[in-house]
Amino acid sequence: MSDGQWSPSTGQIVVSGLTKQYKNVRAVDNLSFTVESGRVTGFLGPNGAGKTTTLRMLLNLVTPTGGTATIGGRRYADLTDPLRHVGAVLEASSAHKGRTGINHLRVICAAAGLPRSRADEALALVGLTPAAKRKFKGYSLGMKQRLGIAAAMLGNPQVLILDEPANGLDPEGIRWMRGFLKGLAHEGRTVLVSSHLLSEMQLLADDVVIIAAGKLIRQGPVEQVLGSMAQGGRVRVRTPQAEELTVALREQSATVETDEHGLLLVSGVDAPAIGRVALAAKVELHELTPERPDLERVFLELTAGKAGIR
Amino acid sequence: MNLVRSELLKIRTTSTWWIFGLITVPLWALTALINWLQTDALASNNFGDVPAEQADQIQAAQSVDSLAANVYTNGQFFGLMIVMLLGIIVVTSEFFHQTVTTTFLTVPHRTAVMLAKLAAAAVLAVLFWLVTTVFNLAFGALVMNSVDLGSQLGSGAVWRATALNGLAYLLWSVLGVGIGVLIRSQIGATVTGILLYLGGAVGAAIAISILAARWGDWINDLQVLVPSLASSLMVSGTEIPGNPPRWAGAVVLIGYAVVAGAIGTLTMRRRDIS
Repeated sequence: MSDGQWSPSTGQIVVSGLTKQYKNVRAVDNLSFTVESGRVTGFLGPNGAGKTTTLRMLLNLVTPTGGTATIGGRRYADLTDPLRHVGAVLEASSAHKGRTGINHLRVICAAAGLPRSRADEALALVGLTPAAKRKFKGYSLGMKQRLGIAAAMLGNPQVLILDEPANGLDPEGIRWMRGFLKGLAHEGRTVLVSSHLLSEMQLLADDVVIIAAGKLIRQGPVEQVLGSMAQGGRVRVRTPQAEELTVALREQSATVETDEHGLLLVSGVDAPAIGRVALAAKVELHELTPERPDLERVFLELTAGKAGIR
Repeated sequence: MNLVRSELLKIRTTSTWWIFGLITVPLWALTALINWLQTDALASNNFGDVPAEQADQIQAAQSVDSLAANVYTNGQFFGLMIVMLLGIIVVTSEFFHQTVTTTFLTVPHRTAVMLAKLAAAAVLAVLFWLVTTVFNLAFGALVMNSVDLGSQLGSGAVWRATALNGLAYLLWSVLGVGIGVLIRSQIGATVTGILLYLGGAVGAAIAISILAARWGDWINDLQVLVPSLASSLMVSGTEIPGNPPRWAGAVVLIGYAVVAGAIGTLTMRRRDIS
């Protein structure tokens, strides 16, 4: 890697007591969290939770009402050569429609004092070289996202911040993005990705920061956030002798419910225990599946009642 | 310097500049025709009875310096509007295409960005002035010779008017940038700019003459406060009786440009980009 001059610690993002009060709404409310380098951090929240406002305050585009947000210990506005430290992808449609992709990047290179050749390299990095001389208005949504990422990578930054990068990408594009961002984190960079696509985040993120109504709901490694909700985990059981098994399980003080397909949903005991009970009762089992808590369910439970629209 | 280079690259890599250049050509030709006819008429004293109170002004306009200054600054009326619109677009296209986010991410120092935009718009305006002036030197010499007054290219008044014309181009582009910041909507800013320029010239002239008839002649001097009238006053080749002095036009226009540029820059510094 060519950016060895940055120590890993410079890539840490620290948001502290961040608040943004608009006329009628407190978009971000005393929000604090940290984002570590070398990991992909998913920034999750319902629509209107304040994700975009937070990212924009972090990048000095929106002035906070209170609190601070720093990258590597400094405010974005105080970074010299910000593009060499931080790359950001904020909207898909952020290039002049009549300008070619390569010229869009050259304009940024000129302003940032980066060599012109970086434009070609960044375009190649995201696989857009064949469309270099096509005008932006002719780009598909996926190509626009890739161009945005190319722009963010121009300065080979230690920190990458992306707002809803998966929007408008096809499955192939999403898979490419996942690999790309994981690769960057693996190189030791900080990757902060906002999204509301929870299944995608479960595949991509190492850590999550969940906010709702401008406030922090939960922060931590994905497994830990999932684990905190796993106590209520159930086991799905399929058997032709449902009644006998239900009786036997209830004797072990398990809770048993039956769903509309006749499957048993058992909680209070784990799968091996259910297997032993079934064996002892000579009950035939066709399926025994622990339900893994997924991010989507955890997310919905955590943010329940904190409506996105305020 | 990087920033100005980037801003000029932004202009160069879109089609706006040459479309506006193309629009300028027929407008230049139109004013050239009008100026030729007017010069011909003034030089040959060929316009019937003149009311006594206008005789002084006509006489001043008939002076060789005035005629020459007028033809060598041909195309100014629309040219100034074009560079003002370019100034507007330099700013509003950033909002229209949502590139302002990228711009301010690249350079968080917004004052520097605005200064670069002002500089780029000014460079563009001076280029427009330069090309127009080259055309005018050929056309003007032709017209002046055709009315037997000689090219007058040795006259200080001609070069003074040409230089002031350049200043007018520069100042109007700066005004355009200011308007663009204050009115972010591309269409809104463009319409406002055109109304200010065209409507300002015609409407204010009418309003002032009505007010002057009611309240007295001193109100006539206020027309220098109208930007478009101020700039035409500034480049007029000679002092015209009954009009404020030329330097007043320059001062007013510079004042507007500085105020528009300063307000624009200060506004941009505080604005949330979302």
